[in-house]
Amino acid sequence: MTAAATLQIESWPQTISEFERLVEATQDELVQFAFYRLGNRADAEDAVQDVYVQAFRDRDKRRHITEVRPYLFRMVRNRCTDVLRGRSRKPAGQGQEAGAGDTLADMLAREEAGEFARLLDRIPEREAEVIRLRAWSELSFAEVAVAVGAAVPTVKSRFRYGIEKLRRLLNLEGGMPR
Amino acid sequence: MNERDDEEVLRHIQPLARIAASNSFRERVMKAIAEERARENSRTARGWKSWPRWVTIGCAAGLILLLLPMLRVGGGPERSSGAALLAQSAQAMSKVQTVHILGRIRTLPGDNFELIGAEYDFVPIEIWREYTNPPRWRVEKPGRVVVMNGQTSTMYMERSNSAVSGTPNAGFIEWLRPMLDPQSILENELMAARKGAAQAALSKSNGVIVAAVSRQAQGNFANDWARNKSIAESDHRCLYRFDSASKRLEGLQVAIAVAGKETVVAEFTDFRYNEVFPETLYALQLPSDVAWITDRPSKPAPANLNGPRDAAVFFFNACASEDWDAVLQVRSETSVPMGIKQTYGGLQVIAIGEAFQSGLYPGYFVTYQVRLRDGYVKSHKIAIRNDNPEQRWVVDGGI
Repeated sequence: MTAAATLQIESWPQTISEFERLVEATQDELVQFAFYRLGNRADAEDAVQDVYVQAFRDRDKRRHITEVRPYLFRMVRNRCTDVLRGRSRKPAGQGQEAGAGDTLADMLAREEAGEFARLLDRIPEREAEVIRLRAWSELSFAEVAVAVGAAVPTVKSRFRYGIEKLRRLLNLEGGMPR
Repeated sequence: MNERDDEEVLRHIQPLARIAASNSFRERVMKAIAEERARENSRTARGWKSWPRWVTIGCAAGLILLLLPMLRVGGGPERSSGAALLAQSAQAMSKVQTVHILGRIRTLPGDNFELIGAEYDFVPIEIWREYTNPPRWRVEKPGRVVVMNGQTSTMYMERSNSAVSGTPNAGFIEWLRPMLDPQSILENELMAARKGAAQAALSKSNGVIVAAVSRQAQGNFANDWARNKSIAESDHRCLYRFDSASKRLEGLQVAIAVAGKETVVAEFTDFRYNEVFPETLYALQLPSDVAWITDRPSKPAPANLNGPRDAAVFFFNACASEDWDAVLQVRSETSVPMGIKQTYGGLQVIAIGEAFQSGLYPGYFVTYQVRLRDGYVKSHKIAIRNDNPEQRWVVDGGI
């Protein structure tokens, strides 16, 4: 379990010290999620930092939100989508370079991220996003529903359809036992 | 296919590598947040009034032009000329040096400024606002007063003989805050309407411009305890009245709808502009034995408080045994107010229910029933919150 999964965050933080605790509890899982979405540490940490600052800026209007953790995933997911859209307007190859401070884990993760993207890009995005959230975080279906802004049954059916499509892809590639 | 098959598929896209944030990441984020806070403070300190008047007027006029298309203008005997009227109003308000507002609210004397209720009687309320730089203001109703002297705001609560001090924008006056800036009320309301959070209509009749803004109750009402206990937590309608000659705000009436019946819960009928206020208005004289409320309890946290219900049980048990040091462990005060000692000392706990959330309140409510020393059985909801820096459970109200 991550620190965030064990910490009950039941209301949107309002003070600097509350945000410090929130960052401490959620930074690793959010950076990991963004890393696998964006493929490198620098972009991932920038995206997550942007989300925390936005979360602080909007703290008053978000004070009614009780599902803080999945909502942060939602913000990170949206921010990553923006970054990816920005990249698509840049010349190919830009935005996914290895950073100078990359660790071995970063390099392995970057390879994995590339492989995951190759698979998930071949299924509908709304199914892929549910699978990413289930596979790359410890969110329950109810929390994924908050993160994607959909009902739990909808999330479950998207997950089911997406998994079926992935299974067919993997079978075709010989990557799964039949 | 079963879940085991799903897991098999998932394994192909589950990370093997474990990525953690860099060692310096948290520091970088907190620095960025601190910079954001500094920008906020800078914006607040500059304030609307410290901009040159022509900038204020220009911005207001521009905003009005943006907002106008969503207004339903008309409805009265004489159709409003829309943008011109609002722009003139913004210009007129920009010349105001002070405003003294008198009104009345259906609330309980001494209770917080947020509380309203269709069943309560009206109590008078008075607001003084000076557009100096920094601005100063005072808001007062029976049993409670807040003074902002340009540097800090201080609230004194007579019933508990306690006081709390905070930044100029500390939320002591809650929903009344916009009344301190009558020049931006209309723009704020219309902006809310533009975002779909409210419905607005504008009309002109008998020399008066009336802006009617309706909003739905905000908050989580899975338990509706907090519904209709504040303006924001009620379906409500505000009627702003502007004098068509001077274009200045001269009245506000707020009505809430409860069970299909509309009840006026607040009205401000007397707006006195450019009075000269005495300096003593901003000097709050506090009793020497006042109990100061801080942002954290003054005593060490009690052990084994696992939530709001535990905190409620701890508080009432401490009152029952008149252990006032223990009470301070779940109160944000330097000393226990005499009123609490006299009322709750020696009580007998009859029942304490489960915690629940309601409305916009960031903490929890816990139902309780206690027998006070004089035999009176009190049934109510105690408010408990832990959104303080140490995340400690403290009793916030409902007693």
